[in-house]
Amino acid sequence: MQELKELAKKLLEEKQVSAILGYGYGRLGPQPIFVTEVTDCERLVFDHRCVHNLAAYLSPRRTHVAQLGRLAVVVKACDARAVAGLIRESQLKREDVVLIGVRCGGVVRDPASTQPLDGDNVAPRCLECEKREPALADHLVGEPKPDPPGNASRDARLSEIAAMSPEERLALWTSLLARCTRCHACRQVCPMCFCERCIAEKTQPVWIEASPHVRGNFAWHLTRALHLAGRCVNCGECERACPAQIPLGLLNRKLARVVEDLYGYRVTDDPSVPTPIGSYRLDDEQEFIQ
Amino acid sequence: MIERRTLSKTDLGALVADLLAAGASVVAPIRFVDQGRAHIEYGPVRSPDEMVLDGPQPRRSLKEVVLPPTEVLFRWRQSKSGVGIEEVPTSFQETVVVGARPCDAAALEILDRVMGWDFRDELWFGRRQATAILALECTRCDDSCFCTAVGLSPAGTRGADWFLTPVEGGYEVDVLTPKGEALLERHKDRCPEMAGPTTRRVAGLEQKVRANLDVRPDAIRAWLETHFDDALWKRAALRCHGCSACAFVCPTCHCFDIVDEPDGIDRGARRRNWDACQTALFTLHASGYNPRKDQAARLRQRLLHKFSIYPSRFGEVLCTGCGRCVRVCPAGTDLVAILAEIGRATAEQGDAR
Repeated sequence: MQELKELAKKLLEEKQVSAILGYGYGRLGPQPIFVTEVTDCERLVFDHRCVHNLAAYLSPRRTHVAQLGRLAVVVKACDARAVAGLIRESQLKREDVVLIGVRCGGVVRDPASTQPLDGDNVAPRCLECEKREPALADHLVGEPKPDPPGNASRDARLSEIAAMSPEERLALWTSLLARCTRCHACRQVCPMCFCERCIAEKTQPVWIEASPHVRGNFAWHLTRALHLAGRCVNCGECERACPAQIPLGLLNRKLARVVEDLYGYRVTDDPSVPTPIGSYRLDDEQEFIQ
Repeated sequence: MIERRTLSKTDLGALVADLLAAGASVVAPIRFVDQGRAHIEYGPVRSPDEMVLDGPQPRRSLKEVVLPPTEVLFRWRQSKSGVGIEEVPTSFQETVVVGARPCDAAALEILDRVMGWDFRDELWFGRRQATAILALECTRCDDSCFCTAVGLSPAGTRGADWFLTPVEGGYEVDVLTPKGEALLERHKDRCPEMAGPTTRRVAGLEQKVRANLDVRPDAIRAWLETHFDDALWKRAALRCHGCSACAFVCPTCHCFDIVDEPDGIDRGARRRNWDACQTALFTLHASGYNPRKDQAARLRQRLLHKFSIYPSRFGEVLCTGCGRCVRVCPAGTDLVAILAEIGRATAEQGDAR
């Protein structure tokens, strides 16, 4: 990825940006790195283990990142949808960030995995990916890559769940969500969860019980999923971050399909396209109003 | 002298079945599968076949058996005559943990110190008393393990009532505590006396773990206590998302929050829930002021508590080197790398002197 390194050097040398946010290898695999020195640009890489959605660091609540100054950020097509989301929702100005788009052929579930990009090792979202290079980018690097091989589609799992009786579905989600300890990793890594004060932390009144019992966990995860309906960029970071390995992406994927069915909206990296929640149309579905 | 017995794999299964039949709860590493992705966690077993004793380390630590993520401290009920308080039981169902990792077993003993310090935590000690730990020597480790750097070992028996060492066809059992002896007394026929000399082999795992990280806790502590404003904190914290994953999978992190939750108009419960110093909310004052103003201060706090504050109060570090925080961090924060960097810095300081 010499192209990426050269571009990063140029951006820093020409003082177009004061730091590059990209991927570099640590002891156990790639991790987000912030490069401020030209000599450190050699550390920048991009490969199928560069899973993290770096757009999360662009949220205005990351004050320590903002202190670095103007950033250039390495984005895959899915990450670029998150950047578009931040711009669309007035959290970021387009001119305040330089986007280095990378052509992606899919990533693994876990950046620490040294296994090839194959079978169950492929991140579930990559099997549904429609776009392997971002349109929202100032620069585009890397060669076009083939789609990753894979088998288990989340849509097949969603169809299975949809075919269950309500009692079976409740039992499934009860058993899954019972494992949540409310570490909020799902929220913290989410590029679209940028509220200054999350509803889960409000105490006057308590909207969502803080306790990780089934009642509190349902309140939290359903609220989180609903809050992301039509906003979730399907980057899968919530699911990857979950230490209890709850398949949270299923909830988001389900709601994305509901939003598409009702409003014909599919999340995009074009920031000028408004979301259903952020726009008003006379021909919107309103069958739910009885 | 430590009593040493043998336990075949079949007899371990039979022992677990006996315990379950006698009404005890048995907790062991078991497999969870979602979306084709399998992982191992400690959980209650319904039959001995569910136990996965030779798999990778359980993703979450054993602490939740003794300190559940949420538990009721008491219940209240309000009426015209006043408020009635209903206590919760402080004695618990007998629980036997089979296949605890040495790093998890040791953690419980380390936590006994703070839980019995200025206030004796009845719920903690109630569960501790009801729980027997059958720890199992590690037969595998990975790049995140560093127990040897904090004075423990893949074959360390600390915190175990029985210590199981895998041998051909089963285990050799060291019975280490009065609780372990009482358990043996009830299940003697499952654990015959050793017929011959030990057949255990030296696994050589210790050298592998030591290769991951070789530092001295006292050197780490000395550095931490003199580098409060070091550039390391800001640099390492840049990537931190401020979630609680590291603390919640940690066998020794034990901070909690207390909340009152209504269960209706006139009744409710006071609960304690896990909490963690890595979140902004943890230290946020009602005034809006936050003394730990950024992620750098929070990351530093985590290391200070483990390697300076706890040792200064209780004489040992609050870390068993299990490596879970490294494995789960979504941003790839690597405590092993951070401790190694501190270790190198102290070595250089030593050279300069």
